[in-house]
Amino acid sequence: MVYSSELIKGTLKTIVLKLLADNKKMYGYEITQRVREVSGDRIQITEGALYPSLHALEADGLVTTEVEYIGKRMRKYYSLSPAGKAATRERVKELSAFMQTMALLLDIQPKTA
Amino acid sequence: MYPITDQHIDFVLCDLDANGIKTPDLRQNLLDHICILAEKNLEDGDDFYAYYRSVIPTFYREELAEIEAETVFLLSHRRPLLLLSRGWFLCGLFILLIGPFVGYDLLWLLNNGRLPWEVWCGTLVFMQFPLLIWLVITLTPERFDPLLPKGSKVLLGWRPFISIL
Repeated sequence: MVYSSELIKGTLKTIVLKLLADNKKMYGYEITQRVREVSGDRIQITEGALYPSLHALEADGLVTTEVEYIGKRMRKYYSLSPAGKAATRERVKELSAFMQTMALLLDIQPKTA
Repeated sequence: MYPITDQHIDFVLCDLDANGIKTPDLRQNLLDHICILAEKNLEDGDDFYAYYRSVIPTFYREELAEIEAETVFLLSHRRPLLLLSRGWFLCGLFILLIGPFVGYDLLWLLNNGRLPWEVWCGTLVFMQFPLLIWLVITLTPERFDPLLPKGSKVLLGWRPFISIL
């Protein structure tokens, strides 16, 4: 089952930040492939969603970029900035708390109390 | 690996530009992505242009310019980030709340040489307020998130505080 883009949209930046935290530096194609691999093809990030998010993260100062030229074309590697590392921790924590709340709200797991 | 030529690159860049991708960095990102896909999926002698025409519609829903529009939208509607860690936020909170009392005590000490018991008691009593907030935040971490908007933080801090009282 492939998750809908609506579900992925709100978590895309967190996914990208966490991947960069775990992999030091990555380029766009690599990110899409890694997400597919880790999620067992259930999360498929489209190019149309990934690159705008990467640009926004760069503008926010959460990622830094490094350019490598392959002949005439340019490959942009993304890595976390110090602010990005702090933001990753906060976002992962926030998403984790959100998932627990959703589980309670949708009665996915038995309530403890 | 399929060989990508300068003509292929020029063609892709021109096509992306003609279809609304005006941000140079975004164009370069998409170009690299398309080239990698072609290198992985094409064999020597295959038609790059035909492959390009078949793969590019998978990047968008209705038109390619959506990607440019999304980029511009995200860049112009960035959420202000509170980059203070939890520890720094709490330090700031303490300094803000206790600072005036400590400052008042110091000024009193400088002017009068000693602190009367009323001032000591006043300081100790008012110090309980930030300590209570700290206890609430520490004991109910799920109610606190430094990335939440400022107003929500105040609300989240007060609710458990009131319920404890």
